[in-house]
Amino acid sequence: MSVRLPRIMSLIVGAAVVSAGLIAGAAQADTASPSPAASADAKATLTVGITQDIDSANPFTGIVASAYEIYQMQYPTLTNYSAQDFSIVPGLADSWQESADHLTWTYKIHSGLKWSDGEPMTAKDAAYTFNRIINGEYEQTNYGNYVANITKAVATDDTTLVLSVKAANPIMTHLSIYILPEHIWSKVSEAQVKTYKNEPVDGQPVVGGGPFVMAERRVGQFIRMTANPNYAGGPTPIREVVFRVFQNQDAMGQALKKGEIDFADGIEANVAKSLEGIPGITTVNATYSGFNEVAFNTGAALSDGKPIGDGNPVLKDLKFRQALSWAIDRQTLADKVYGGAATPGSTIIPGMYPAYHLTPATPYTFDPEKAKSLLEAAGYKAGSDGVRTGPDGKPIELRLFGRTNSANSKQVVQFVKGWFDAVGIPTTVTMKSEDALTEIIGQGTYDMFEWGWVVEPDPDYQVSTFTCGQRSYEDAGSVLAGLSDSFYCDPAYDKLYAAQGSETDQTKRSDIVKQMQQMVYDAAPYIVTVYYNNLEAYRSDRFTGFVPQPSPSGSLLFQYGVWSYVNAKPVSSAGEGTQPADGSSGSSPGWVIPAGVLVVLIVLAGLVGWLLKRGRGGEAADDRE
Amino acid sequence: MALMPEAGLDITAPETSPASGSWASPGVRYVVRRILAAVATLIFVVLFNFFLFRMLPGDPVKLYTRGRNVDPEQVRKLTAALNRPLGQQFLDYIRNPFAANVDSVKYSQPVWSVIGERVWPTLLLVGVATLIATVVGVWLGIRSAWNRGERFDRISTNTTLVLYSMPEFWLGMILLIVLGVGVFGLPGLFPTGGLSTPGVDTSSLRGWLDVAWHLFLPVTTLAIVYLAEYSLVMRASLIDEMGQDYLQTARAKGLMDKLVRRRHAVPNALLPTMTLIFLNLGFVVGGAITIEYVFSIPGLGGLTVDALSGPDVPLLQALFLLFSAAVILANLIADLLYARLDPRVRT
Repeated sequence: MSVRLPRIMSLIVGAAVVSAGLIAGAAQADTASPSPAASADAKATLTVGITQDIDSANPFTGIVASAYEIYQMQYPTLTNYSAQDFSIVPGLADSWQESADHLTWTYKIHSGLKWSDGEPMTAKDAAYTFNRIINGEYEQTNYGNYVANITKAVATDDTTLVLSVKAANPIMTHLSIYILPEHIWSKVSEAQVKTYKNEPVDGQPVVGGGPFVMAERRVGQFIRMTANPNYAGGPTPIREVVFRVFQNQDAMGQALKKGEIDFADGIEANVAKSLEGIPGITTVNATYSGFNEVAFNTGAALSDGKPIGDGNPVLKDLKFRQALSWAIDRQTLADKVYGGAATPGSTIIPGMYPAYHLTPATPYTFDPEKAKSLLEAAGYKAGSDGVRTGPDGKPIELRLFGRTNSANSKQVVQFVKGWFDAVGIPTTVTMKSEDALTEIIGQGTYDMFEWGWVVEPDPDYQVSTFTCGQRSYEDAGSVLAGLSDSFYCDPAYDKLYAAQGSETDQTKRSDIVKQMQQMVYDAAPYIVTVYYNNLEAYRSDRFTGFVPQPSPSGSLLFQYGVWSYVNAKPVSSAGEGTQPADGSSGSSPGWVIPAGVLVVLIVLAGLVGWLLKRGRGGEAADDRE
Repeated sequence: MALMPEAGLDITAPETSPASGSWASPGVRYVVRRILAAVATLIFVVLFNFFLFRMLPGDPVKLYTRGRNVDPEQVRKLTAALNRPLGQQFLDYIRNPFAANVDSVKYSQPVWSVIGERVWPTLLLVGVATLIATVVGVWLGIRSAWNRGERFDRISTNTTLVLYSMPEFWLGMILLIVLGVGVFGLPGLFPTGGLSTPGVDTSSLRGWLDVAWHLFLPVTTLAIVYLAEYSLVMRASLIDEMGQDYLQTARAKGLMDKLVRRRHAVPNALLPTMTLIFLNLGFVVGGAITIEYVFSIPGLGGLTVDALSGPDVPLLQALFLLFSAAVILANLIADLLYARLDPRVRT
C-alpha cells in the first residue's frame, strides 16, 4: 500500500496538469466567445494573416511592405492612386496646381479635418512633415528621393500648402509622403527619431489621420488597428483590423480554413490550391506589379566606366543577348513554375500600369531554331559537340545564379539552363543566398542571375536602374553596388531618363518612358520572364465589398491606397446578434469546447484507470522479487 | 567540453601552481577553477564573435533598399556608416560588447531591446517544455528501467523511440491540424499560432490563461520531443546501475525495493541525465526554431534567422553572445552540481 501511493499521486498530479491545461483552454474559449459580442460588433473585425511582421511602426524607420500597409492606413497623403487604374485622385488635398514656371506647386487642403485625438489637421501639419524631411538627416532615408527636388514647404493658411521646387518634376502630383501630426512629432527630436517606436502608449492609440490607427502591437504576433473616430471619409463598416503574423504559410492557410483569420495575403501557390473549393473561402489570383528576370552581365563597370568583375565577354554582344532572348519559353515558366499564377513577361513596366507599360510590337517568342540561327549568324559557330565557340575560339560556358531563398528561383534556373544548353550554350547553375548574390552582382562577378523587381506606380525608380550612374561605385577602396544589376549603360537612354524626370505632362512622359522600355527590350540586358500574380484568399462568408486595384483583377489588400479597408464590410446575416459565438473570429461555436473537454476527460480517465491497473500488476511483480 | 572535468583545466592552470593546497580547500579551488575557465571561454567567444559575422557575405544596405525609392546619396551614407574600418569597429565593440546603445540595422532599435522583446516567449516555450520533459522523461526512464522487459517498459520505450525519431516540424504540424484546426468534424481546441489574443490584457488572470491556451500545442510538441531523449538516457543509465554489486548488497540488507531504487540506484544513474539536462538548459535561450516557425511564436530562434539575412551584424553579435553566455553558464552550473553529486569530481 505504501508503495502504491506515490505512483497514484504522480498519476493524479499528471492528470491535474493535463486538466489544468484543458481548463485553461476551456476558460479561454469561454471568455473568448462572449468578448467579441461585448465589443460593439464582433463581425466588424477583419483579421488579416501576414507572413512578415512590420519592422517598425515609425514611418521614418520601417522598410518592409507590411509596415507601409500600416502607415498608409494611419496617415494621409496629399493625393492618392485610384483603385480603378492608378490615376491620381484627391487625398488630403482636394486640388493642386503647378505654377506656369513649374517652380511652385499649390495644394488646397480639405478644411475642417481632425486627427484621431481631435486636434485640427491642417496644411501646417503637411508643411511641418515636408520641412522635417527636407531639413532632416535621418528623415531623408525613406523619403529623400521625393523631396530631393523640393526646397521648402510653406502653409500660407490652414488650407493652402505651397511647395517650392528646383525644377519641373512629375512626382509632385503623387508624393508618397505620409503627413504626420505636428503636435506629436514636434516632440520627437532629430536625435530620437531613429529609435522612436510610434507605438501605442498606456493603451492610447497612435495619433493618425487615416481610416485606422494602431491600438495595440505585440512584436511578432499581431498589430491591432481601430477605426479613427475622426476619419474624413466617415465611419468605415469595418471597425477593427487585426494583422496576425504567421511564420509559415501552411499554418496561415490552416488558420483561414478554421476561421481564425479572415484574409490571407501573398500566399504560395500550393497553399492557395489547398484552399480552393472550401465553402466560404474565395481565392483571388490578382494581377500584380512584380516581374522576374534573367539578367545578363552586359559588361560590369563602375559608374565612371572602369571595368570590374569577370563577366563572360560574349555577353557584351547585343546580338548574343538577343539570340538568347528567343531561347526562353516564358509561357512554360508561367505555367510550370508559377502554376499559372503568372503571365509571360516582356518590358520592365508591368501591364498592371497601362499608362506607362509598353507592349512590344515584335516580341521575343520561344523559338530555339531562331536563337540558333541568330547565334550562327553572329559568328558563334557550334563545334562537333554542339557547343558554340566565342570570338577567341574557346567554347562558351556561362554561369547562372539562382536564389536559395526562393523555391521558384530554383526551378526557373533549371528550365533556363535546359534551354540555353539546347541552343549550344552550356550553362552552370549555382544557387546563392540573396545576401551572397547581392554582393556577387555588385562586384560584377557573374554572367547571369535570376531575380525580380516589384514596380511602383511611378516608373521613375524602375527606369533609373538602367542608367549609367547606377552602376557600382568605389568608396574608400571597396566596390559598392548601385541599383544597376546588368551594368547596361547607354547615354541616349540616360538623356531620356532625364527628360521623363522633368516632364509634368503625363502623356508626354508616358511616351518617353515607353521609348526607354523599347530600348531596354531591344538591348536585352534582362530577359523579363514573367509578370507574376499575387495570390490572396479570404472568408467570403464573412466579408464582402473588397475593392481590387487595379480594376477588375488586382489585389484586394496591400494596394497603393486603403480602398478595401474603407469599403469592405461584414456579410450581413439574419442571425446577427442572436448567435454571438457563430462566426466570431477566432473561436468555434460555444457548445463544442465543453463537449470536447468532456471527451478528452473521459479518455483521460480511462487511461489513468488502465495505468493504475498496470501499476498494481507491476508492483506485485516487484514484491515477489 | 567544460563538462569533462579534466579537459580545460590547463587553460587556467597558473593560479593553481604557486601555492596549491595552501590557500584554500580543494572544494573551493575547484569552484574557482571552474569559474575562471568559464570566464576564459566567454572572453574567447566575445573575440571570436566579432570576426565570425564579418565573414558573412552580403550588403545590408543594398538588401534593405532594393526596390525602394531611396536617395542614392542616402544609400552612400548608410553604407559608409556600416563599412567603417575594421580596426575601428573592433575597438568600438571590444570597449563594451554588451553596450546598450548599439542599434540593430534592421529594426533601428538597440539590439538588447530587440532581444528583450523576444526573450520571454522563448523562455516560456522552451523553459516550460524542458521542465515538463525532464520531470516526465526521468520518471518514465526510471519506471521503464526498473520494470525492464515488462509491458510498461515495452510500451514506454517503443513510444519514446518513435517520438524521438519524429521530426518536430512534422509532429507540430500534425498537432496543429488535429488539435488546432480540427479534423473529421471535430472542432479545433487550440489556436493555430501566436502567444495571445489581440485585445486581451496579458497581465490579467485572463491574459495568463490566454497565454497558457496559446502555448499548449507548442509546449506539448516540444516536450514530447525532449521527453523521449531524457527517458531513453535515464533508462539506459539506470539499467547500467542495476547490475552493480552495491544494489545486491542493499537488497541483501533487506531494504525495500522502493528504497533501493530511490536512495541507491537513481542518484547514481542521474549523472548522465543531469549532464544532458544542463546541456539542454543552456540551449533554452537559443529557442526552438522549428517549433517557433510552426506555431508562429516570436522567439529568439526566429529572430536569429531574421538577423542572418542582411546580415544584421550587431544583432547577430548580441544574439550569439547571449547564446554562448547561456551555454557557458549552464555548463558551469552543471560542473558545480556535479561536484556536489559526485565527490570524485572535486579532486
